[in-house]
Amino acid sequence: MNRNKLLTLFVSNLSNAVVHKILENAIDIPEISERYNKEIINSWNIAKRYREKINPVEKELADKEIQEIRKRIVNKVKSELRIRIEKGYENIDLESVEEVVEEVLKEMKIR
Amino acid sequence: MVNNEITIIGRISRGSKMDQIYLPKRRIGFIPGEYVIISPLVNHLGEKELSVKLNFYGLKKLEPVKVNLIEEIVKRIRNKVKVDNIIFTGSFLEKGFRFNDIDILLISESEKSIEISLIKKEIEEFSGIKPHLICLSNKTLSSGLSNDPLYNLMLSKCVSLNKIIFNVKRKINYKLLDLNLLKSKNLIENFNMLNGDEKYYLTLNMVSILMFIQNKKLSKEIVEKEIEKLFDIKINDLKGNMIEESFILKYKEIFNKTFSLVLDNIKGEERK
Repeated sequence: MNRNKLLTLFVSNLSNAVVHKILENAIDIPEISERYNKEIINSWNIAKRYREKINPVEKELADKEIQEIRKRIVNKVKSELRIRIEKGYENIDLESVEEVVEEVLKEMKIR
Repeated sequence: MVNNEITIIGRISRGSKMDQIYLPKRRIGFIPGEYVIISPLVNHLGEKELSVKLNFYGLKKLEPVKVNLIEEIVKRIRNKVKVDNIIFTGSFLEKGFRFNDIDILLISESEKSIEISLIKKEIEEFSGIKPHLICLSNKTLSSGLSNDPLYNLMLSKCVSLNKIIFNVKRKINYKLLDLNLLKSKNLIENFNMLNGDEKYYLTLNMVSILMFIQNKKLSKEIVEKEIEKLFDIKINDLKGNMIEESFILKYKEIFNKTFSLVLDNIKGEERK
Protein backbone atom coordinates (compact mmCIF):
# COMPACT_ATOMS: atom_id res chain seq x y z
CA MET A 1 0.00 0.00 0.00
CA ASN A 2 1.47 3.36 -0.91
CA ARG A 3 2.08 6.13 1.62
CA ASN A 4 -0.80 8.34 0.47
CA LYS A 5 -3.31 5.52 0.77
CA LEU A 6 -1.97 4.63 4.23
CA LEU A 7 -2.25 8.26 5.34
CA THR A 8 -5.81 8.51 4.05
CA LEU A 9 -6.87 5.39 5.96
CA PHE A 10 -5.00 6.56 9.04
CA VAL A 11 -6.74 9.95 8.92
CA SER A 12 -10.11 8.33 8.38
CA ASN A 13 -9.81 6.00 11.37
CA LEU A 14 -8.33 8.59 13.68
CA SER A 15 -11.16 10.97 12.73
CA ASN A 16 -13.65 8.28 13.61
CA ALA A 17 -11.96 7.81 16.99
CA VAL A 18 -12.17 11.56 17.67
CA VAL A 19 -15.86 11.63 16.69
CA HIS A 20 -16.44 8.71 19.05
CA LYS A 21 -14.72 10.56 21.89
CA ILE A 22 -16.74 13.75 21.38
CA LEU A 23 -20.07 11.92 21.00
CA GLU A 24 -19.39 9.96 24.18
CA ASN A 25 -19.34 13.28 26.02
CA ALA A 26 -22.60 14.35 24.38
CA ILE A 27 -24.57 11.35 25.63
CA ASP A 28 -26.64 11.89 28.72
CA ILE A 29 -26.34 8.41 30.19
CA PRO A 30 -24.27 8.77 33.35
CA GLU A 31 -23.21 5.14 33.51
CA ILE A 32 -22.01 5.04 29.88
CA SER A 33 -18.34 4.92 30.90
CA GLU A 34 -19.00 1.86 33.08
CA ARG A 35 -20.57 0.01 30.22
CA TYR A 36 -19.32 -3.36 29.23
CA ASN A 37 -17.76 -2.53 25.96
CA LYS A 38 -15.41 -5.16 24.74
CA GLU A 39 -14.50 -3.82 21.36
CA ILE A 40 -12.46 -6.35 19.51
CA ILE A 41 -12.17 -3.75 16.83
CA ASN A 42 -12.34 0.00 17.00
CA SER A 43 -11.10 2.98 15.04
CA TRP A 44 -8.29 3.70 17.46
CA ASN A 45 -6.83 0.22 17.10
CA ILE A 46 -7.10 0.27 13.32
CA ALA A 47 -5.50 3.73 13.17
CA LYS A 48 -2.65 2.34 15.26
CA ARG A 49 -2.17 -0.51 12.79
CA TYR A 50 -1.86 2.00 9.94
CA ARG A 51 0.45 4.25 11.96
CA GLU A 52 2.80 1.30 12.43
CA LYS A 53 3.17 1.14 8.66
CA ILE A 54 3.92 4.84 8.18
CA ASN A 55 7.58 5.79 8.42
CA PRO A 56 9.16 7.07 10.58
CA VAL A 57 7.29 4.75 12.97
CA GLU A 58 8.82 5.88 16.26
CA LYS A 59 9.43 9.53 15.44
CA GLU A 60 7.36 12.56 14.56
CA LEU A 61 6.42 13.07 10.94
CA ALA A 62 7.63 16.05 8.93
CA ASP A 63 6.07 19.40 9.86
CA LYS A 64 4.31 19.83 6.55
CA GLU A 65 2.79 16.38 6.80
CA ILE A 66 1.66 16.98 10.40
CA GLN A 67 -0.16 20.15 9.35
CA GLU A 68 -1.85 18.33 6.51
CA ILE A 69 -2.95 15.41 8.70
CA ARG A 70 -4.23 17.74 11.42
CA LYS A 71 -6.22 19.78 8.91
CA ARG A 72 -7.74 16.71 7.30
CA ILE A 73 -8.77 15.17 10.63
CA VAL A 74 -10.28 18.41 11.97
CA ASN A 75 -12.29 18.91 8.77
CA LYS A 76 -13.48 15.32 8.67
CA VAL A 77 -14.51 15.32 12.34
CA LYS A 78 -16.32 18.64 12.07
CA SER A 79 -18.15 17.51 8.98
CA GLU A 80 -19.28 14.26 10.72
CA LEU A 81 -20.44 16.22 13.76
CA ARG A 82 -22.23 18.85 11.66
CA ILE A 83 -24.33 16.13 10.01
CA ARG A 84 -25.60 15.31 13.49
CA ILE A 85 -26.05 18.90 14.62
CA GLU A 86 -28.11 19.63 11.50
CA LYS A 87 -30.37 16.73 12.45
CA GLY A 88 -31.00 18.32 15.85
CA TYR A 89 -28.39 16.45 17.93
CA GLU A 90 -27.62 18.66 20.94
CA ASN A 91 -24.65 18.93 23.35
CA ILE A 92 -21.99 18.36 20.68
CA ASP A 93 -18.94 20.41 21.58
CA LEU A 94 -17.53 21.51 18.21
CA GLU A 95 -15.02 23.77 19.92
CA SER A 96 -13.26 20.84 21.56
CA VAL A 97 -12.36 19.24 18.21
CA GLU A 98 -8.94 20.88 17.77
CA GLU A 99 -7.95 20.06 21.34
CA VAL A 100 -8.96 16.39 21.06
CA VAL A 101 -7.20 16.09 17.69
CA GLU A 102 -3.98 17.46 19.24
CA GLU A 103 -4.22 14.85 22.02
CA VAL A 104 -4.68 11.93 19.64
CA LEU A 105 -1.88 13.11 17.34
CA LYS A 106 0.49 13.12 20.30
CA GLU A 107 -0.64 9.68 21.39
CA MET A 108 -0.06 8.38 17.87
CA LYS A 109 3.43 9.84 17.83
CA ILE A 110 2.57 11.99 14.86
CA ARG A 111 3.82 15.12 16.55
CA MET B 1 -31.67 -18.53 60.06
CA VAL B 2 -30.58 -19.92 63.38
CA ASN B 3 -32.16 -20.63 66.76
CA ASN B 4 -30.98 -22.92 69.53
CA GLU B 5 -32.57 -26.13 68.25
CA ILE B 6 -33.48 -25.66 64.63
CA THR B 7 -31.60 -24.13 61.73
CA ILE B 8 -33.18 -23.15 58.44
CA ILE B 9 -31.11 -22.16 55.44
CA GLY B 10 -32.90 -19.50 53.44
CA ARG B 11 -32.09 -17.33 50.50
CA ILE B 12 -32.65 -13.59 50.43
CA SER B 13 -34.88 -12.69 47.54
CA ARG B 14 -35.37 -9.28 46.05
CA GLY B 15 -38.64 -7.49 46.78
CA SER B 16 -40.02 -4.23 45.42
CA LYS B 17 -39.69 -2.20 48.64
CA MET B 18 -37.96 -4.65 50.97
CA ASP B 19 -36.02 -7.83 50.35
CA GLN B 20 -37.21 -10.98 52.14
CA ILE B 21 -36.46 -14.54 53.13
CA TYR B 22 -39.32 -17.02 52.65
CA LEU B 23 -39.93 -19.77 55.22
CA PRO B 24 -41.88 -22.94 54.43
CA LYS B 25 -45.34 -22.94 55.96
CA ARG B 26 -44.83 -26.48 57.26
CA ARG B 27 -41.98 -26.14 59.71
CA ILE B 28 -41.07 -26.75 63.30
CA GLY B 29 -40.64 -23.61 65.38
CA PHE B 30 -40.15 -20.12 63.98
CA ILE B 31 -43.64 -19.00 64.97
CA PRO B 32 -44.88 -15.77 63.35
CA GLY B 33 -44.09 -12.86 65.65
CA GLU B 34 -41.02 -14.57 67.09
CA TYR B 35 -37.74 -12.67 66.84
CA VAL B 36 -34.87 -14.38 64.97
CA ILE B 37 -31.24 -13.68 64.17
CA ILE B 38 -30.19 -13.63 60.53
CA SER B 39 -26.55 -14.22 59.79
CA PRO B 40 -24.61 -15.19 56.63
CA LEU B 41 -24.37 -18.90 55.96
CA VAL B 42 -20.63 -18.64 55.38
CA ASN B 43 -20.17 -17.85 59.09
CA HIS B 44 -21.57 -21.27 59.97
CA LEU B 45 -20.31 -23.53 57.20
CA GLY B 46 -17.19 -21.88 55.90
CA GLU B 47 -17.10 -20.34 52.44
CA LYS B 48 -15.78 -23.36 50.57
CA GLU B 49 -18.87 -25.38 51.35
CA LEU B 50 -21.22 -22.99 49.60
CA SER B 51 -22.77 -24.82 46.71
CA VAL B 52 -22.83 -23.37 43.21
CA LYS B 53 -26.15 -23.60 41.43
CA LEU B 54 -25.91 -22.14 37.97
CA ASN B 55 -28.64 -20.67 35.78
CA PHE B 56 -28.39 -21.22 32.02
CA TYR B 57 -29.93 -18.84 29.48
CA GLY B 58 -30.16 -19.48 25.73
CA LEU B 59 -27.94 -22.54 26.00
CA LYS B 60 -29.07 -26.00 24.97
CA LYS B 61 -26.00 -27.61 26.44
CA LEU B 62 -22.54 -26.78 27.64
CA GLU B 63 -19.54 -29.08 27.75
CA PRO B 64 -19.09 -30.53 31.29
CA VAL B 65 -15.49 -29.32 31.41
CA LYS B 66 -16.72 -25.76 30.88
CA VAL B 67 -19.40 -26.15 33.57
CA ASN B 68 -16.74 -27.38 36.00
CA LEU B 69 -14.51 -24.47 35.12
CA ILE B 70 -17.34 -21.97 35.65
CA GLU B 71 -18.15 -23.52 39.04
CA GLU B 72 -14.53 -23.31 40.10
CA ILE B 73 -14.26 -19.68 38.97
CA VAL B 74 -17.46 -18.81 40.87
CA LYS B 75 -16.06 -20.38 44.05
CA ARG B 76 -12.81 -18.51 43.73
CA ILE B 77 -14.50 -15.18 43.04
CA ARG B 78 -16.85 -15.67 46.00
CA ASN B 79 -13.91 -16.43 48.23
CA LYS B 80 -12.42 -13.07 47.33
CA VAL B 81 -15.34 -10.67 46.98
CA LYS B 82 -19.01 -10.29 47.76
CA VAL B 83 -21.05 -9.93 44.61
CA ASP B 84 -24.77 -9.98 43.80
CA ASN B 85 -24.28 -12.02 40.67
CA ILE B 86 -21.61 -13.48 38.40
CA ILE B 87 -22.44 -13.77 34.70
CA PHE B 88 -20.46 -15.72 32.09
CA THR B 89 -20.96 -14.83 28.46
CA GLY B 90 -19.23 -14.57 25.08
CA SER B 91 -17.39 -17.05 22.91
CA PHE B 92 -16.52 -19.31 25.85
CA LEU B 93 -20.12 -20.52 25.80
CA GLU B 94 -20.06 -21.39 22.12
CA LYS B 95 -19.77 -25.02 21.11
CA GLY B 96 -16.20 -26.27 21.00
CA PHE B 97 -12.98 -24.74 22.19
CA ARG B 98 -12.29 -21.88 19.79
CA PHE B 99 -12.57 -19.19 22.46
CA ASN B 100 -9.78 -16.76 23.27
CA ASP B 101 -10.93 -15.70 26.71
CA ILE B 102 -13.76 -15.91 29.25
CA ASP B 103 -16.08 -12.93 29.56
CA ILE B 104 -17.23 -12.47 33.13
CA LEU B 105 -19.52 -9.76 34.54
CA LEU B 106 -19.45 -9.16 38.26
CA ILE B 107 -22.64 -7.51 39.43
CA SER B 108 -22.29 -5.63 42.66
CA GLU B 109 -23.58 -2.47 44.25
CA SER B 110 -20.09 -1.74 45.52
CA GLU B 111 -18.55 -2.39 42.10
CA LYS B 112 -15.96 0.37 42.41
CA SER B 113 -14.28 -1.28 45.37
CA ILE B 114 -13.77 -4.66 43.69
CA GLU B 115 -10.13 -5.34 42.95
CA ILE B 116 -10.40 -6.84 39.48
CA SER B 117 -6.70 -7.36 38.84
CA LEU B 118 -6.30 -9.89 41.69
CA ILE B 119 -9.29 -11.93 40.55
CA LYS B 120 -8.07 -11.81 36.94
CA LYS B 121 -4.63 -13.02 37.98
CA GLU B 122 -6.02 -15.92 40.00
CA ILE B 123 -8.39 -17.07 37.25
CA GLU B 124 -5.65 -16.89 34.64
CA GLU B 125 -3.19 -18.77 36.84
CA PHE B 126 -5.44 -21.68 37.72
CA SER B 127 -7.24 -22.05 34.38
CA GLY B 128 -4.65 -20.86 31.90
CA ILE B 129 -7.39 -18.84 30.18
CA LYS B 130 -7.40 -15.08 30.05
CA PRO B 131 -10.54 -13.64 31.66
CA HIS B 132 -12.16 -10.43 30.48
CA LEU B 133 -13.69 -9.19 33.67
CA ILE B 134 -15.86 -6.19 34.32
CA CYS B 135 -17.83 -4.94 37.32
CA LEU B 136 -21.26 -3.44 36.89
CA SER B 137 -23.96 -2.25 39.24
CA ASN B 138 -27.46 -3.72 38.97
CA LYS B 139 -28.59 -0.34 37.65
CA THR B 140 -26.03 -0.34 34.83
CA LEU B 141 -26.93 -3.90 33.87
CA SER B 142 -30.62 -3.16 33.82
CA SER B 143 -30.12 0.10 31.87
CA GLY B 144 -27.90 -1.79 29.39
CA LEU B 145 -30.58 -4.41 28.87
CA SER B 146 -33.16 -1.72 28.32
CA ASN B 147 -31.31 0.49 25.84
CA ASP B 148 -28.29 -1.29 24.39
CA PRO B 149 -28.63 -3.98 21.69
CA LEU B 150 -25.15 -5.29 22.53
CA TYR B 151 -26.28 -6.10 26.07
CA ASN B 152 -29.31 -7.88 24.67
CA LEU B 153 -27.09 -9.95 22.40
CA MET B 154 -24.54 -10.62 25.10
CA LEU B 155 -27.07 -11.83 27.65
CA SER B 156 -29.20 -13.79 25.21
CA LYS B 157 -26.72 -16.59 25.88
CA CYS B 158 -25.18 -16.66 29.31
CA VAL B 159 -24.63 -18.60 32.51
CA SER B 160 -25.21 -16.85 35.81
CA LEU B 161 -24.90 -17.63 39.47
CA ASN B 162 -28.22 -15.98 40.37
CA LYS B 163 -31.27 -15.46 38.22
CA ILE B 164 -31.28 -12.48 35.86
CA ILE B 165 -34.41 -10.38 35.46
CA PHE B 166 -34.84 -9.99 31.71
CA ASN B 167 -38.23 -8.37 31.92
CA VAL B 168 -36.90 -4.89 31.20
CA LYS B 169 -38.82 -2.56 28.95
CA ARG B 170 -36.90 -1.58 25.81
CA LYS B 171 -36.04 2.09 25.87
CA ILE B 172 -34.25 3.34 22.77
CA ASN B 173 -31.55 5.95 23.24
CA TYR B 174 -30.63 7.03 19.72
CA LYS B 175 -27.47 8.83 20.79
CA LEU B 176 -26.18 5.61 22.26
CA LEU B 177 -27.12 3.72 19.10
CA ASP B 178 -25.31 6.36 17.02
CA LEU B 179 -22.19 5.81 19.10
CA ASN B 180 -22.44 2.03 18.78
CA LEU B 181 -23.08 2.26 15.04
CA LEU B 182 -19.99 4.41 14.50
CA LYS B 183 -17.83 1.32 15.06
CA SER B 184 -19.44 -0.46 12.15
CA LYS B 185 -18.43 2.32 9.78
CA ASN B 186 -14.91 0.90 10.00
CA LEU B 187 -15.80 -2.00 7.75
CA ILE B 188 -16.63 0.26 4.82
CA GLU B 189 -13.29 2.04 4.90
CA ASN B 190 -11.08 -0.83 5.99
CA PHE B 191 -12.53 -3.87 4.26
CA ASN B 192 -9.16 -5.25 3.15
CA MET B 193 -7.49 -4.57 6.49
CA LEU B 194 -9.96 -6.51 8.65
CA ASN B 195 -10.01 -10.22 9.33
CA GLY B 196 -13.14 -12.40 9.19
CA ASP B 197 -13.94 -12.23 12.91
CA GLU B 198 -13.73 -8.45 12.83
CA LYS B 199 -15.98 -8.20 9.77
CA TYR B 200 -18.45 -10.56 11.46
CA TYR B 201 -18.47 -8.50 14.68
CA LEU B 202 -19.01 -5.18 12.88
CA THR B 203 -21.81 -6.65 10.75
CA LEU B 204 -23.45 -8.22 13.81
CA ASN B 205 -23.24 -4.86 15.60
CA MET B 206 -24.85 -2.97 12.71
CA VAL B 207 -27.66 -5.46 12.06
CA SER B 208 -28.47 -5.80 15.76
CA ILE B 209 -28.84 -2.01 16.00
CA LEU B 210 -31.20 -2.01 13.02
CA MET B 211 -33.26 -4.85 14.52
CA PHE B 212 -33.30 -3.13 17.92
CA ILE B 213 -34.80 0.00 16.33
CA GLN B 214 -37.31 -2.18 14.49
CA ASN B 215 -38.28 -3.59 17.91
CA LYS B 216 -37.33 -7.12 16.87
CA LYS B 217 -36.25 -9.77 19.34
CA LEU B 218 -32.47 -10.11 19.63
CA SER B 219 -30.24 -13.08 20.13
CA LYS B 220 -27.02 -14.01 18.42
CA GLU B 221 -28.74 -16.74 16.40
CA ILE B 222 -31.60 -14.46 15.31
CA VAL B 223 -29.22 -11.70 14.18
CA GLU B 224 -26.98 -14.19 12.39
CA LYS B 225 -29.99 -15.53 10.47
CA GLU B 226 -30.91 -11.96 9.52
CA ILE B 227 -27.35 -11.32 8.28
CA GLU B 228 -27.47 -14.47 6.13
CA LYS B 229 -30.80 -13.32 4.71
CA LEU B 230 -29.82 -9.69 4.10
CA PHE B 231 -26.42 -10.40 2.54
CA ASP B 232 -27.18 -13.78 1.03
CA ILE B 233 -24.08 -15.29 2.62
CA LYS B 234 -23.21 -17.98 5.14
CA ILE B 235 -22.06 -16.77 8.56
CA ASN B 236 -19.07 -19.13 8.45
CA ASP B 237 -17.94 -17.54 5.17
CA LEU B 238 -18.08 -14.12 6.82
CA LYS B 239 -16.14 -15.34 9.86
CA GLY B 240 -13.66 -17.07 7.59
CA ASN B 241 -13.16 -13.88 5.58
CA MET B 242 -14.37 -15.61 2.43
CA ILE B 243 -16.77 -12.96 1.18
CA GLU B 244 -16.65 -10.99 -2.04
CA GLU B 245 -16.00 -7.25 -2.15
CA SER B 246 -19.55 -6.85 -3.47
CA PHE B 247 -20.59 -7.46 0.15
CA ILE B 248 -19.61 -3.82 0.84
CA LEU B 249 -22.29 -2.45 -1.48
CA LYS B 250 -25.06 -4.14 0.50
CA TYR B 251 -23.29 -3.25 3.73
CA LYS B 252 -23.17 0.45 2.79
CA GLU B 253 -26.86 0.37 1.92
CA ILE B 254 -27.81 -1.11 5.31
CA PHE B 255 -25.42 1.16 7.17
CA ASN B 256 -26.89 4.27 5.53
CA LYS B 257 -30.43 3.09 6.21
CA THR B 258 -29.63 2.45 9.89
CA PHE B 259 -27.71 5.71 10.26
CA SER B 260 -30.63 7.69 8.77
CA LEU B 261 -33.09 5.98 11.10
CA VAL B 262 -30.90 6.81 14.10
CA LEU B 263 -30.33 10.45 13.12
CA ASP B 264 -33.98 11.07 12.22
CA ASN B 265 -34.97 9.88 15.65
CA ILE B 266 -32.30 11.81 17.54
CA LYS B 267 -34.17 14.97 16.58
CA GLY B 268 -37.38 13.65 18.13
CA GLU B 269 -35.49 12.47 21.17
CA GLU B 270 -34.03 15.92 21.82
CA ARG B 271 -37.51 17.47 21.67
CA LYS B 272 -38.89 15.24 24.45
